[in-house]
Amino acid sequence: MNRSVYLDHNASTPVHPEVLQAMLPYFSERFGNPSSVHGFGREAREGLETAREQIAGFLRVSKDEIVFTSGGTESDNLGIKGIAAARRSGHIVTSQIEHHAVLRTCEMLETQGFTVTYLPVDECGMVRPEDLERAIRPDTILVSLMHANSEVGTLQPMSEIGRITRGHGVPLHVDAVQTFGKVAIDVDAFGIDLLSFSGHKIYGPKGVAGLYIRKGTKMAAVQHGGDHERRRRAGTENVAGLVGFGKAVEVRGREMAGEAVRLTGLRDRLWEGIRARVDEVRLNGHPTLRLPGTCNMCFRSVESESIVLGLDLKGIATSAGSACTSGSVEPSYVLVAMGLPLDWAMGSVRCSLGRSTTAEDIDYVVDSVVPLAAKLRALSPVKA
Amino acid sequence: MEYSAALLDHFRNPRNAGMMREPDGIGEGEYEQCMDLARFYLRVRDGRVEEARFQAYGCGPTLAACSAGTEVAAGATLEELAEIREARIEEAVGGLPAERRHAAVVVARALQAAARNAMTRRDAH
Repeated sequence: MNRSVYLDHNASTPVHPEVLQAMLPYFSERFGNPSSVHGFGREAREGLETAREQIAGFLRVSKDEIVFTSGGTESDNLGIKGIAAARRSGHIVTSQIEHHAVLRTCEMLETQGFTVTYLPVDECGMVRPEDLERAIRPDTILVSLMHANSEVGTLQPMSEIGRITRGHGVPLHVDAVQTFGKVAIDVDAFGIDLLSFSGHKIYGPKGVAGLYIRKGTKMAAVQHGGDHERRRRAGTENVAGLVGFGKAVEVRGREMAGEAVRLTGLRDRLWEGIRARVDEVRLNGHPTLRLPGTCNMCFRSVESESIVLGLDLKGIATSAGSACTSGSVEPSYVLVAMGLPLDWAMGSVRCSLGRSTTAEDIDYVVDSVVPLAAKLRALSPVKA
Repeated sequence: MEYSAALLDHFRNPRNAGMMREPDGIGEGEYEQCMDLARFYLRVRDGRVEEARFQAYGCGPTLAACSAGTEVAAGATLEELAEIREARIEEAVGGLPAERRHAAVVVARALQAAARNAMTRRDAH
């Protein structure tokens, strides 16, 4: 009987039992519309505002600076398009390894006359502050950089980035979907004006997220309708989901620091275990400055999806770096931007650990990867 | 991604994997868009494939289709194998998701190339 080992926490996480319990009443007896004036509405509004307070408290910001959205993608869209709409023209700086929610939003804005600089990254996946400094122009209206990349987990040098954007008086948007609730974020010390964060990466439900907007940031709404979220995001809030999000953040406040230490140990145990027993593997991302639970590895001359399928058949859920979509290969654009040769980049596998991961799980994964890599390499006409 | 039981079985336990010494025919098939590569080796007796072996680089479905391809090839005449269709390979792995049909393409191409190579060698004697 195979174990069942979920190592895809950067994709999504299971809802924490305390989160589920907090949410349940808001599907039934506390179902009101938080914009309604009657008692049912007030009850829902109370749940919503408690969640806002929990999240604002966690980030040490004012609750008026938190706007709820439907997901990290919407938060990124609102942050970037909101600034663009308020400024109407100008230059945006981002990086080549951002999430598609940022990259494609920037590409869309280019079609509307905005100009965009896509900063390169070094071999660890880190933006060089000097590149950012050079890229900022008099007409730069926004810098949008992620806190950590979901594939490789490298943490960006946020303090330096924030110092540069503040020095130039340019708003800084940070996609923190992968770091919020996993590592400390200090919006003041990092000089962050807009911060995207999401619920389902931290044991909250899917479909809820938020955007921190620093007071005084000049931006426009991009979705129009009612006066929800202080006219910054129209649409009835997902009350039950957001109540769960608030609870998830409260739980992270208790667990985050301890779990970061534990996951870092397990992450390193995984990599060391594989490196010791498999030839021609490499770790992607920064060796130390990266998300506690993220371990992205390349197996040379083996194709990502065959490893992921082989592990899946052993009950282990991981994620392929290269995606074979409609018969055409998509090597990870993140790894390509980091300068990995194609024969390495095609064999990347991401393991992202979480609350449920144990040392026994990690040892089982190592014991499964070793023969699988050997078997796939034995089949391969492409020699390492 | 939903895969058939036959495909998963071929992936788990690939048949006839590895190279062959002094084969009567060798052929490769590539699917450039995804860099998958299949190589087949054929042992031929009296105009029919006695044994086929493979090496492959690619996703799970491609590896499984190679394994199934060796079983499809065994017993076929070279002329039949030179005309083998992708549909025959797809059938042998119990079907393929639309996004993974390239697995049958790369295997059919490689088997056709191996059969043609064996025919060329045979005709040269």
